[in-house]
This record gives sequence, structure tokens and C-alpha cells, in this order.
Amino acid sequence: MIELERVARHYRLGAMTVKALDGVDLRVAPGEFVVVLGPSGSGKTTLLNLIGALDTPSDGRIRVAGRELTGASRGELARFRRGTVSFIFQTFNLFPGLTALENVQFGADVTGKRRARELAAEVLEQVGLGLRMGHFPNALSGGEQQRVAIARALATRNPVLLADEPTGELDFRTGVAILELLRTQADGERTVLVVTHNREISRAADRVVELSSGRVVADGPPRAGRAPIAELHW
Amino acid sequence: MAARFWLRWSWRDLRERWLQVVVIALTIGLGTGTYAGLGSTSVWRRDANDASYAALHMFDLRVRLAPGAFAAAGRLADLVGRVDHAGAIESAEERLILPTGVDASGASSDALTILVPGRIVGVPVGNGLPRVGAFDVRAGHGLTGADAGEAVGLLEYHFAEHYGLPPEGAIRLSGGARLDYVGQALTPEYFLVTTERGGLMAEANFAAVFVPLETAQALSGHARQVNDLVLTLGGDADRSLVQGEIERALATEAPGLGATVETREDDQAYHVLYQDIEGDQQFWNLFAALILAGATLAAFNLTSRIVEAQRREIGIAMGLGLPGTAIAVRPLLVGAQIALLGIVFGVAVGLLIGEAMRRLLEELVPLPAWSAPFQPRVFAEGAALGFFLPFAATIYPVWRALRVAPVEAIRTGYLAARGGGLASVARRWRLPGNTFGRMPFRNVLRTPRRTLLTALGIAAAATVLVGTAGMLDSFFVTIDRGEAEVLRGAPDRLTVDLDGFAPAERAVALVREPGVVDEVEPALRVGGTLVSGGTELDVSIELLDLAGGFWRPTVTQGDATGGSGGIIVAEKAARDLGVRVGDEVTVRHPRRVGEAGFETVEDRLVVAGLHANPLRFLAFMDLGSAGLMGLAGAANVVYVTPAPGVSTDEVKRALFAQPGVASVQPVGSTARVFRDLIDDFLGILGIVQLAVVGLALLIAFNSASISADERARENATMFAFGVPVRTVLRMAVVEGLVIGLIGTVVGLGLGRIVLQWLVDVLLPGTIPDITVSIALSAETFAKAFGMGVVAVGLAPLLTARRLMRMDVPSTLRVVE
Repeated sequence: MIELERVARHYRLGAMTVKALDGVDLRVAPGEFVVVLGPSGSGKTTLLNLIGALDTPSDGRIRVAGRELTGASRGELARFRRGTVSFIFQTFNLFPGLTALENVQFGADVTGKRRARELAAEVLEQVGLGLRMGHFPNALSGGEQQRVAIARALATRNPVLLADEPTGELDFRTGVAILELLRTQADGERTVLVVTHNREISRAADRVVELSSGRVVADGPPRAGRAPIAELHW
Repeated sequence: MAARFWLRWSWRDLRERWLQVVVIALTIGLGTGTYAGLGSTSVWRRDANDASYAALHMFDLRVRLAPGAFAAAGRLADLVGRVDHAGAIESAEERLILPTGVDASGASSDALTILVPGRIVGVPVGNGLPRVGAFDVRAGHGLTGADAGEAVGLLEYHFAEHYGLPPEGAIRLSGGARLDYVGQALTPEYFLVTTERGGLMAEANFAAVFVPLETAQALSGHARQVNDLVLTLGGDADRSLVQGEIERALATEAPGLGATVETREDDQAYHVLYQDIEGDQQFWNLFAALILAGATLAAFNLTSRIVEAQRREIGIAMGLGLPGTAIAVRPLLVGAQIALLGIVFGVAVGLLIGEAMRRLLEELVPLPAWSAPFQPRVFAEGAALGFFLPFAATIYPVWRALRVAPVEAIRTGYLAARGGGLASVARRWRLPGNTFGRMPFRNVLRTPRRTLLTALGIAAAATVLVGTAGMLDSFFVTIDRGEAEVLRGAPDRLTVDLDGFAPAERAVALVREPGVVDEVEPALRVGGTLVSGGTELDVSIELLDLAGGFWRPTVTQGDATGGSGGIIVAEKAARDLGVRVGDEVTVRHPRRVGEAGFETVEDRLVVAGLHANPLRFLAFMDLGSAGLMGLAGAANVVYVTPAPGVSTDEVKRALFAQPGVASVQPVGSTARVFRDLIDDFLGILGIVQLAVVGLALLIAFNSASISADERARENATMFAFGVPVRTVLRMAVVEGLVIGLIGTVVGLGLGRIVLQWLVDVLLPGTIPDITVSIALSAETFAKAFGMGVVAVGLAPLLTARRLMRMDVPSTLRVVE
């Protein structure tokens, strides 16, 4: 599903060149729940942005869902994002002028789904917000907002979910619920990539990719095996 | 912390948003500069008038004899020289003034046919004369003593300038006499060219020719006769006293001359030039205030949005324990500096507008002295508002930010997720289409304050546009109405003005002689005054065959034939006099005494009807009532229609050569005079309209630009989901169109109210002689919508480049 070959991403900061990613190789299979772990500045968000076609590599090749991203035009990248990946952000990034239902409908609309409203309602029910559909984001709690954000991503029906610190803004109990929701998506054949600096979260993954200074320093299942989400604590 | 620290930090804030800062400052500058520029016109005009009238020695008093009355040369001067306070008289000069027609076609290098009514003004020349009403020779050279009796003269400057005539040339006068003009001159009584038919700026249709007194006497056959005297008095003279003494002397010693003594205020050009200043200033003040209001609303909106963007930093400062007053310093400095920059721009805009206005006014009314110095007081008024309001705009968001608990202010996403504004009211309002179609409308409601302030800024601009354009529309509709009335039934008829009263049969024979006319109708036209309930209105009374003539006025109420000896007045005249059909009104008019003498008498006449012409000064009576004026069987006007196959120009040329014919004009010429007058003002209104269009564009651009900043994260989110730039732009355009539409509709409503006020309150004071019908043309609507809706709607397209270059990952991570 996701293939990276010797991917590098360099930035220029004044006279300095910062190597955010440096020769990363990675393969993720369909339906995998992968946690990308690393401290701040390790390059994990850069990796997510490259897979999500928000950014382009300085070097190397990226293929996602059979599509070659390297050298793709701006328009092709936008089409790729529309049809292949969906983002979940740490700060939710909901549209404040739209209700919860409409925010989710946006996800369906963007991919040109028919009966987008009905689909959005269905997905909101799935994430447990059937009774909060008509509420605007400012009337929802942080956890509810993140559920709406996940529902928006799910409504696209895209095969890859990319989540950047999805629990970063949430309390423990809510964070766990969100993780469960994401885990469920992987069980349902979607590929889920979660970026976090929270090692505890990585215990729930099928696979943990550890980054440090832009390089993959570890890649494999959690050291103590995959733990049930109920056992996590932070 | 040191003031320098805060100042430096605020400069960085300004630099970071330099484009928006410059645009806001330009908005303020446009508002304050326009306010200063338009608000200063009365000072400039008064100064220019004073200096120009002083330079050319405008008369203080003028003795005019009744039409057709003449006095022996020297008699009038002698008479006024014997009044008790004759010592107060500095100069007294006799003149001979007679109507004529002027054919300047030969002088025109463009082969134009220039055949207009005019006036021969005979004045003393040589040895610094004329002193009263001196000439400012603009082209060619002046008259000398050697020219006395010669067929030479000066052309009135406005007329010559209008037709682009060379400095010297030859013209012909009624009856075919040739006259060489040696120059073009301004003189105080013609600073503004007026006609007796109410026309202002009538240079296209009226030519004064200044000649030596002896020449005028020779051309008119009035050897050693005069009919006019102008005087200047010493600076400390009691003008009323001298005026009274002269009036009494004339009444006693020359009762048959029908003489009246006028002051300079009675001079129509003088009256208009001064009287209009205050009225015009009210007009400019209104539009200047609206433009300033629009600019300050926009500046308020935009400045507050810049400060709002600092709310998280304010929260951080609160979290660090900084006192509120210290926190407020930086945003307030930002606001103050934007306002100050705006005022600096305002000086430049004010000077530019002042210079543009000066040039236009100088072109419109070319006086000998014109200057438009910067008016600090007027500018200070605008600048104070221009500073205070944007500064106040920074106080509000700072105050709001300081009210928030620090923990909330610094919380990531606090602002992003805040408030739905009025969006919740539209929660159940389901628009057709998908979320992309719904989002712009929700965004409009989500930020009601911003929507309101932007829309009000656009509304103010649209109000000015509709007010100014609507006034022109109303004038044109009024002129069309008047023109339709005079052209009705016999659109090709011409007015033949005679140079005096003649027996009607002779007048008819005179115009029939060349064989170019078909129908002929003799008539009379005399000046008069309607008096009722303390109100006096000057009117031009036309005595026509109301029963059988080939044209008669449309009578909206009463008897179209004028009843037996009644008078038909304009609807507005009746309203202003407070009379109705059937009421009596006092009519002051001249009555012929003997062959050439006139006296002014009063008669009580019944208001027989009201006519539809919007010109208040037109009144009609049946020709059968001519006996009241001692003019039974006489005519000084003949209406004609061209014979079949003969053009209007051919009639004009043929009749022009007839002795006794002063001028020949199509009946629609009055409308043309008014149309020309309005055309002259288009330039000035153009400056105002340019300012408001500029204002609307600045508001639109900055609103779009700041919206793009505020929505950066939303836009980045959409891009992350693969939404194309064009879709995001389309949503911004729709949002802009909605706001622009709201602003334009409000502006149209307010503009209509302003127009009503102008017509009902302002115009009756400045042009009381015209009933202006309120109208808004389709073009005005199109202009308003074009400016308000299209400009605001399309402004987001200017942010396309920024959207295309957006660093999506970075923008998504920006927390506020």
C-alpha cells in the first residue's frame, strides 16, 4: 500500500541545510495499523506529509496505493489526496461554519460521493455522535471534535488514514476512545498511520516505526507484543 | 519595558503585514484626503471670487433701463453725479447693451456653424477704461481709444474658448454687420455666462461681444445713446444710501426710462457664484462625510482584524504576568501607526484632490484668480476622525483579548474553534448543493461583525455613487421632461427673438420675407415677478395665442387657454407661492408708456392653470392680455416652423440676416444649455466617483486579503483533502459576492434616501427654478452593482497566487 525508497527531505534554514528525513525506506501493507514514533524534530510529521502528498521529497521515491508520487504535478497530487488519503489533525481543523454533520459531509463531498448527507449521518452514528449532528464545532468537546474529524476522514472512504498526534489535545480517556476508533478502521482493511511521540500509544499498533534525526532506527511489532487498548495508560 | 522595545516590535508587526497596512492606510488616506479636498472647496471658491471681482472692479451699483428705453449719453452719469452722496462714487461709466445674434462660423477653423444669440456691450475704452467691469484679456489684445467707432471688439472668453476660436478673427452680427474681434476677454458680469432663459454656463449658446461705446451706438443706430450705467463706490460708502438716492433721482428726473438700480448681488453670475458656494459645500460635505465614513468603517474592520490575529500572543503575555496596560501597548501602537500613516497618505490624497478640483473649477469657471491652498482646519477634522476610529478599532479587540483567561487564550485551537457567529441561525436552512456551496453563506453568518463592517464600507461607497449618479440621472430626466414639453407637437419650431418690440404684423412679415418658414406665430416675452404671501419669484412671461397657436403649454390643472386675463404658472411656482388654481397672485411687470418708455406696475391676476414644464420661471398668458403691458398688437418673439424642405440651419441663416432679428434658436436650445451645464459638472462628480470606486476596491482587496489570512488553516485543511485551489477561490468569490450584494443593496437604499434629501432639501436652495424629478437609471444600478458586487466578489481572485503558493503543512501546524 505504501512504499518509500531512500526518501530524503532537506530544508534550507538560512545557510544551514536541515535533513528532516534522510534515506528512509518503508513499506506498509493494506490494513496495517502503524505507529510512527519519535521525539520532536525526528521527522515523523515530515514523513506523514510526504506520504499524504502535502510535501514532495528532495530525493527518493514514494508510491502509495499503486500511484507514483515522485515527480507528480500539483494537480495530480491534489487528485491523489482526494482519492487515496485522509488526514486527521492534532488540532482537529474542523470548519467552524459547518455543523458536525456538514463537516463530515465535506469529506464525502470532496470525493464526489452520492447521497453524501446520508453517508455522513451514517458515519457520525458509527463514531457515536448521532445525537450531536446539528452542533457546530464550538459546541463540541475536544474528544467530540476529534471524532468528527475522524468521521470526516472516514466519509471519504479513502484507503489510507493519516493521523498526526490525534490524541495530543485530548485527555487520557478520550484519547483511548479515539485510538479504539482508529484501530477499528485498520481492522476494517484501511491502512492507518498514526504519528505520535507517545510511546504508550505505540503498544496498540501492529507495527512501530521509530524515527530519530530523520532516520528509521527501529521497525517492527511492539516490543512486548500488541497490547489491548484497555491496558494503555499515560 | 522601554518604549523603544515596543515600538520596534510594533514595526515588525507592521512590516510583517506591510501590504495590508499600506492598503488600510490608503483607505484612511482616501477618506481623510477626500474629506479635506471636498471640504475645502468653499474656502477656495470664496477666495477666488473675492480676488477676481476685486481685480476687475465689479460694479457696486448698476442702473438698467427698461428694454427699448434709451437715455442720451452723459445723462445718467450726470444724474447720479448730483445725488447727495455722489462723493462716495469712485467711478461711473455709461454703457449701451443690446441683444444681437452672433455668427462666428467664419472664425471657426473647424468649419462649425456657430449662430447663437448674444449681446453687444458698448463700453468706454482707452486710458484704462473700462475701469468698472474691466477686462482680463486672455487672448489677443485689448481695446484702445483709437478703436472708438471702429467695427472692432472683444469676444467673451468662455464663448470663444468653448468653440476654440482663434485669438483674432471676424464675426457677423444680426443684420449682417461684420465685426473684427481683436481678443478674448473675461469680465466680472460674465465670469459665469447666463441667459435670461435661466441658463447657467451658457457659453455654447450665448455670445457677448464687447465693443467701444461709440461702435455699439453706430452698429445699433442709437447714436449718442446709452441704456446702462455701472458704478463703483468707495470702500466705506453706504451702498444702500446711495442706491436709494439714485432710485429717487431716477424716479423724479427720468420716470419714463423704467430704470432699476441693481446691486452686484442682483447680477445673476455674481449671485450664482457666491450663492452656490454654500449649497455646493453642503453637497460636497455630504459625500465627503460618506466617503470618510466608508473609509473609517473599513479601517475599523481591517485594523481590528489585524489586532485580533495577535490574540494568542496577548494571551501568552498575560500568562507571563504582564499587566494589561503593558500588553495593550503593542497592538495600540500598531493601530496608532496605521492611523498616522493613513493621515500622511491623506495629506497627499487631499492635495491631489485639491489640485484636481482646482483645475476642474478653473476650467469650469475660469476666473482671473484661482488657487486651492491646503486647508489645515478642514483636513484636521477629517484627520481626527481618520485617526480616532482606526485607533478605536484596535482598542476593541485588545479589550476582548484581555478579558479572556490566559489559559484559554494560549490554548491551541481556542480561536480556531471559537464561535459560530450567526451561523447557528441558519442551521436548519438547507441550501441546495454540497458543503462547498453552503460554506460561503455560513462564513458570512459566522463572522457577522466583519460582514457588517465590510458591507457597510461598501454601502457607504455605493451610497455616494448612487447619490452622485442619481443626481445626474434626475437632472437628465428633468431636462428630458422639459424638452419633451417644449418639443411636443412642433419639435422643429424655432424661436426668433427680435431686438425690440415691433408691431406683430411687421414681425410676421419680417420672418416670412426670406421665404424659409411655414407656420408663424407672433408672441411677447417680458420679465416679471410673481408676488404672493411675501414670496417673490422672478419669471419670464410669454404671451401666446393659447387658444389657436401651434404650440401651447401642457396644463396639468386649470384652464389651458389662460381664462380671461389669467396667468398659467409652473407647478413649483404655485407651490412656492402657496397659491392654487383660481387664487389671485400679484404680477409685477413692465408696461409701455409712450413709444419707448416703460414703467413697472403691479396687477392682480388669477392663476388660471399650472403647466408641466419643470422650469419654475416660465409663465404663460394669452396674447390677448398684452394690453396689460401696453403691448397690444406688438411682438418681440416670433415662433416659426421651417418651410417644407428647409433645414433648421437654413432658417437660422436666412433670418439672421434680417434687420431687427436678434437671434434664432430651436426651441430645444434651453434644454441644450442645461445639458451642457451638467456635462461640465461630470468632471467634478467624476473625481468623487473615482474616489469611491477606489475606496470600494481598497476595502474589497483588504477584506479578501485578511480573509485569506484568517482562513488560512481552513483553506490548508481543504487542500489537505485534495480540494482544488479553484474551488477554494470559488467559495471566497461567492462569499465576497454575498457581502458585496448586501453592501450594494444597503447602499442603493441609502443612496436613494440621500438623493431624496438632495432633491427635497438641498436643490431647492441652490437651483430653486427647477423642479427636479428623482430618477435612478439602469446605468446607475449597473455601476453600483459593478462596483459593489463585482469588485468585492472578484477581489478574492487577487489572493489566488498566495493560495497556490501556500505551504500547506506549515499552515496546518500554525495554531492560530
